[in-house]
Amino acid sequence: MIQLFNVGKSYGGVAPALIDITFSVKKGEFIFLTGPSGAGKTTLLKILYRTEKYDQGQVLVHGMNIGKIPDRKLYTLRREIGFVFQDYKLLAKKNVFENVAFAQEVIGANKKRIRFKTWEALKNVGLTHKKDSYPQQLSGGEQQRVAIARALVNSPKIILADEPTGNLDPEISIEILKLFEHAKKAGVTVVFATHDQDMIRSRNHRVVVIKRGQLVNP
Amino acid sequence: MTTSAHNTYSNIKSNLQVFLVSVATITVAFSILGLFLVIFVNLNSFLTTWSEKVQLVVYLEDEITDGQKQSLEQLISANSDVESMTFISKDAAWANFKNTFSSTKSDFIDDLKYNPLPSSYNLKFKPSSDRFVRIREFADLFKRRQGVESVEYGETWLGAFEKFMLFIRIFLLAVGGLLGLGLILIISNTIKLSFYARQEEIELMLLIGATPNFVRVPFMIEGMFQGLLGGIFALALIKSLQLYIKVQFQGSLQSIARGMEFQFISQPLILGLLASALFIGWVGSFIAIQKFLSSGNTK
Repeated sequence: MIQLFNVGKSYGGVAPALIDITFSVKKGEFIFLTGPSGAGKTTLLKILYRTEKYDQGQVLVHGMNIGKIPDRKLYTLRREIGFVFQDYKLLAKKNVFENVAFAQEVIGANKKRIRFKTWEALKNVGLTHKKDSYPQQLSGGEQQRVAIARALVNSPKIILADEPTGNLDPEISIEILKLFEHAKKAGVTVVFATHDQDMIRSRNHRVVVIKRGQLVNP
Repeated sequence: MTTSAHNTYSNIKSNLQVFLVSVATITVAFSILGLFLVIFVNLNSFLTTWSEKVQLVVYLEDEITDGQKQSLEQLISANSDVESMTFISKDAAWANFKNTFSSTKSDFIDDLKYNPLPSSYNLKFKPSSDRFVRIREFADLFKRRQGVESVEYGETWLGAFEKFMLFIRIFLLAVGGLLGLGLILIISNTIKLSFYARQEEIELMLLIGATPNFVRVPFMIEGMFQGLLGGIFALALIKSLQLYIKVQFQGSLQSIARGMEFQFISQPLILGLLASALFIGWVGSFIAIQKFLSSGNTK
């Protein structure tokens, strides 16, 4: 589902952000992407989502050579991927239901489908009772659950999560992790970036470790 | 389409003050342009009214032969632009002249022992937009003919007026071009502000799979709507001014040129003005959005 071959990226600083990264993720697999802060986890996820370009190597996502996708066609890649951000990126002026429905609206779904899919996504993350609340009225864990519902509402093939539990306490973090594992069970490929070693040890998923822009053995 | 209209409405609502300022600026700019157009249209109509009265008079030499006369008449009857031809003989011209100046009772006319006036052909031309050009071309033909003394069609003042109208045309184009350029920048800036007001939402749209058109269309509609509203307000403003001037000064105008009315710009020009307002709105918003989309998608 995801294949990286000798990927390199530099922002022009002394040390490159990524050096010769090669690994793959199978369809329906769940992997932890870990490493210290500044190791290159976020850069790698941004490359997979094509909000950053890479300088060398090849990247295939769901059969697409993402370096060759023109900007005007990027939406074809992004519709296959659900991205969960550490800072949630919820719209403050929209309520929970509208925030999740927004992902359906931008891909041009009809109203009936938007209502159905949004309700289903909110049910999966257990937030139907908060549908009329606004982001600022929710706890961090609830906000992240809304973000996950938004990432899942378009039934993506892949979920990329950038430190989704970084701002949450351990109990809530495990609840959030379970939502991603639930998506994996439904056949979604999950790349879960975290530096929470306790969380990684508590599960039996494959671990990819990056240090100073390079892959190292776990 | 419904989503685009809804998004356009949200854009305008979130940035209403800037939107209204932009519409007001477009109104002022188009009013200036429209005012010049009204002046141009009326000067043009003035020129047309006067040029309709213009006749081509071909004065003949006293020694003209019958053969030369015939050849001239053939040339005249072959021209389909000529509506009518009147031959005025030397004697008739003299009689007319004496008749016209009989009231002055000048001794000079009575003392004159010979007829100094030449015979002539007076030609009337059919109405057409390039009537004056045709008269001039036809007059040039006569100048080279044998038996023709001279031609007369008021070329000096009509030529000067024509040059003046050409200058006005170039002036209008230049003013229109400059105002158009200024308006494109204004609309482009308004759309940019509208964009920044919703930047977070737009970035998220692109991140979660919106097509560039999904993002672009509402802003394009907003830009075109701004242009159109400005154009309509400007036209309303000029129309009111034209009506006011018509009521106040129609009498004076009639005394200068009988049958002439103070006119508003024609329907094709109105449509042209509105179409350019739409086009300017489209270009302005396109520039703003394209810049954002090309820099916002990927670093």
